[in-house]
Amino acid sequence: MRSPQFSSFVILVVLLVVFAVADGNFLSPLNISNMMAFLPELGIIALGMTLLLTAGEFDLSVGAVFGLAPVVVMLLVQNAGVDIGVALLAGLLLCIAIGAINGVIVTKIGISSFLVTLSMLLIVRGAALYITQGFPLKSWDQPGFFVTLLAGSFNIGAFRFYTSLWWFIGLSLLAVYVLRYAKLGNWISAIGSNRNAAVARGVPADTVKIWLFIATSVLAGLAGMISAFRISAASPVAGTGYELEVIAMVVVGGTALTGGRGTILGTIVGALMLRAIRNGIVLVGVPGLAYNIFVGVIILAMLILHALLQKNAARN
Amino acid sequence: MQEVLRLQNLQKSFGSVRALKNASLTLKEGEVVALLGDNGAGKSTLIKAISGVFPIDRGDIYVRGEKVSIRSTREAMDLGIETIHQDTSLAPDLSIARNLFLGREPVNLKWLGVFAPLDLAKLRDAASALLKRVGISKKLDADALVSTLSGGERQSIAISRAMQFAAKVIILDEPTNNLGVEETHGVLRFVKEMREAGHSVLLITHNIHHVFEVADRIIVMRRGEIVAEQTVADTDLLTVESLITGADLSALMKRAQ
Ligand SMILES: Nc1ncnc2c1ncn2[C@@H]1O[C@H](COP(=O)(O)OP(=O)(O)O)[C@@H](O)[C@H]1O
Ligand SMILES: [Mg+2]
Repeated sequence: MRSPQFSSFVILVVLLVVFAVADGNFLSPLNISNMMAFLPELGIIALGMTLLLTAGEFDLSVGAVFGLAPVVVMLLVQNAGVDIGVALLAGLLLCIAIGAINGVIVTKIGISSFLVTLSMLLIVRGAALYITQGFPLKSWDQPGFFVTLLAGSFNIGAFRFYTSLWWFIGLSLLAVYVLRYAKLGNWISAIGSNRNAAVARGVPADTVKIWLFIATSVLAGLAGMISAFRISAASPVAGTGYELEVIAMVVVGGTALTGGRGTILGTIVGALMLRAIRNGIVLVGVPGLAYNIFVGVIILAMLILHALLQKNAARN
Repeated sequence: MQEVLRLQNLQKSFGSVRALKNASLTLKEGEVVALLGDNGAGKSTLIKAISGVFPIDRGDIYVRGEKVSIRSTREAMDLGIETIHQDTSLAPDLSIARNLFLGREPVNLKWLGVFAPLDLAKLRDAASALLKRVGISKKLDADALVSTLSGGERQSIAISRAMQFAAKVIILDEPTNNLGVEETHGVLRFVKEMREAGHSVLLITHNIHHVFEVADRIIVMRRGEIVAEQTVADTDLLTVESLITGADLSALMKRAQ
């Protein structure tokens, strides 16, 4: 088993053991519940990002969309008196529009996704700050269908889980199915591997990419809504820096940044790993300001490992 | 012999570059036609126009006597025109089986559209059968990634893919470039087999010896135009070379003697 997702999995287990030994509280129900509350929010975005990266593109605007979607929904509800269901629908349409604009500019005008989505990050984040004047909004905290759907919680023994975990599990299964077993997954991998070859076989590469940009944006907006409902607040700066954290999860899991090779299982491992690292290094007493040094070092080590394995496989 | 493909006055420009000027040609059933010409003569442009990679500016295309418009690679394939492009036409990160059926995947639950599950068993079986039928020298595993194959093996995969859909017209753009001696012979053997099976082949190559080995007819392009058309039986190496370069080599040779 030399596959990248397998080596990532081994590293994840090692990390979990190290943290568990270093601090008895790491595997406590409270701490596990905590990690599982945060995991889906970035994990859901990472699923979309994995498909997009496999097709050879990426999206830097996801963190900004994570912030903007709930802000727009809450402004509609609180200032315009719109029904929450209608406001959520408007938020969904907004995410679809952002993804579609990203996708159309990248595929039809031919500007790299790095530049297009970097600009979109600034536009979307700027919009969130401008329409809120920089102030966080109180989120929807009245119990009801949508809150239960996105941020309800339930107890299993001493563990407290959020419904977002079901979303993550369900969407993960769907993503595994699409990438590995569906016709669409064959197209996504082929486009990222050799776009001209895919097009020459009649694969609608541009359309597929545009829909992947839309899916990624919608997932980012969904994650933002889940987060806002959970903490009952919608902040215009929520999700800052998430784009890089999400891309790190995906590549740590073994998906190639250059396209063609993607693994959803790897991404789930990557999401768990980054969550565990962020949580574990707090517990073992690494000073707060030093977190990112550790996170960066571990990511780099993972990437070096993948590169070495790849080289090894090529030699055999 | 029946006419399979006829091109009439095709024109194509890229900005100010007139890559094709009034190109016309006919391809008959069971015939191998070699398309020759220097680099930049417009050969690749001509075949990309036929295979739907980009639209032509002007001109008509007839398939078995019927006028058609080819607006996408899918439409060309549906008309029975399979192309093996010069810039490799396989996805290296996909398995051989997945490449063989790329764009025409066998699926279950067809109504699910692009979300339909691949029929993996059928995919693998069909791929194995095909690999056996085309007799690729080394035994290849249908699940092996294309990135692990040699250039010749990749070319063979691309060619067998074109054959499997029983294409009426198979177009090969410099298929023997970068291949070893043995692999080159494999490709030429394929071309002969395809003719025997009744396919029409349009072969682009720089190697004139190959032309004399497999082709029935020669078409020469220069600067976007078709400048000569000859049957192989009625011509010789020197004549063809001078047609390609535009210099009268045979006259030069005679003067030297
Ligand atoms: N996509 C393109 N954009 C601009 N110019 C092109 C393009 N494709 C081909 N050309 C130009 O058209 C001419 C013919 O090229 P091509 O058909 O590739 O020649 P050949 O295959 O005979 O070597 C060349 O001058 C080439 O530079
Ligand atoms: Mg060419």
